[in-house]
Amino acid sequence: MAGTIRAQYPATIRPIRINCTGRVTPSLMMRAIGKGADGVIVAG
Amino acid sequence: MLEAARASGLNLYTYSEIEDVSGFIGNFKVKIRKKARYVNNDCNGCGACFEVCPAYGYDEFNEGLNPRKAIYVAFTQAVPSIAQIDMTKCIKCGLCQGVCELNAIDFDQKDEIVDLEVGSIIVATGWDEYEPETGYLGYNDYPNVITQMKLERILAPNGPTVGHLVRPSDGKKPEKILFIQCVGSRDLSRQTYCSAGVCCMISIKNTKLIKQHYPEIDINVAYMDIRAAGKDYEEYFTASRKEGIKYIRTNVSRIFEDPETHNLKVILQNTLSNTGMKEFEYDMIVLSAAMVPAIGVEKIGRILKLETSQDGFFKEFHSRLNPIDTKIPGIVLAGVAQGPKSIAESIAQGRAAASSLARLLGKDKYRILLIRATVDNDKCAKCGLCELNCPYNAIQMTSESAVVDEILCRGCGSCLANCPSEAITLRYYREPQYEKQIDAILEEI
Repeated sequence: MAGTIRAQYPATIRPIRINCTGRVTPSLMMRAIGKGADGVIVAG
Repeated sequence: MLEAARASGLNLYTYSEIEDVSGFIGNFKVKIRKKARYVNNDCNGCGACFEVCPAYGYDEFNEGLNPRKAIYVAFTQAVPSIAQIDMTKCIKCGLCQGVCELNAIDFDQKDEIVDLEVGSIIVATGWDEYEPETGYLGYNDYPNVITQMKLERILAPNGPTVGHLVRPSDGKKPEKILFIQCVGSRDLSRQTYCSAGVCCMISIKNTKLIKQHYPEIDINVAYMDIRAAGKDYEEYFTASRKEGIKYIRTNVSRIFEDPETHNLKVILQNTLSNTGMKEFEYDMIVLSAAMVPAIGVEKIGRILKLETSQDGFFKEFHSRLNPIDTKIPGIVLAGVAQGPKSIAESIAQGRAAASSLARLLGKDKYRILLIRATVDNDKCAKCGLCELNCPYNAIQMTSESAVVDEILCRGCGSCLANCPSEAITLRYYREPQYEKQIDAILEEI
């Protein structure tokens, strides 16, 4: 989406495609933060 | 419609509502409520009962412009031609029973529930005209401010005035008419969308129609932009201008009424000239109001579990590449149910909807993707959270475990995110796969 609307975002953001935001589990988000991510955006 | 009623193998349920839909493509189960007409199917629409009925209601088909009897046919060409009784107006005098030669009137008739099994569903719920709120551009405050649909009925040969153009306050022929475009559409506080140029084209058509019958009537159109996009439309617009209809690019600032004559004074500024604010007087004003989703679509959307777009119309599979299908296989959209469009486009979409379903139902088999939720029976604690959270009603609890219907399931994964026992997995999108992705991305840091 950000790409198609030509929105600028930092190169340090790494998208992971998921079927549906409903599928995101707390454990996945916590894993990312635990491994050193500064934050997690759930967008959909 | 008449052809459809006569065709064999085609069942028509008019004056009916859907109550419930379950199942999936090829095997939908539909519950239909056939509302009581209080007149049985023996009626041949002769109309003898209308003449004797002493009770009156407003004729909804004519936008409430004229009265009708409490026993009536919805409109002249209604299919099937069977009378119905408006029980809110009926006084149960029984005069109609006395004159009915076919003994068709049945005051004890009850709503009937019909259960059907169908393979697919086309949603063609159409639209309603946006009703401006009281006071907006004088609507409902001043009798001579009417909407486009009311004008349509006034101009119709089978309408309340049998085609004679009159204004509501005194029944006289108006000498000066103003059409106002984009009422309730292209408006950030009302409908933000443009109704696909339909209101522009209706106005152009009606101005031409009035001009043909009464060349002496002075017609102005207050518009933002005339959206005459489409085959022959621009030419039609040009023809209307050549006939002497004056188009004023403006936003109407104020309308007020002369209480004695019921004429309307309008203050507006032509933004294509430097003449400034000016006051004009008109005998009648026609508001060209937006197309909005038909009343009751929320209920149908809930029953069919269809999503709606921001504007309230049903959401298609893809707005550009597939505006016909919905996200639910076997349910397709036709016409304005999907978004504002003209008659020609609605017909095209209706045909496309039929062929989309013919392609699916022509085969005996339906292929599904295997991205589906699966339940580990040993881990499942039968808490029922998944059943509660499934947006597609694809999960059912049994005494053993939760059971996923592989056809209804769309593989969204809401169930597994909610499962406290981690008993559900999504094929091809398992937790360890995502974990690996997260790990790989964060290794770079």
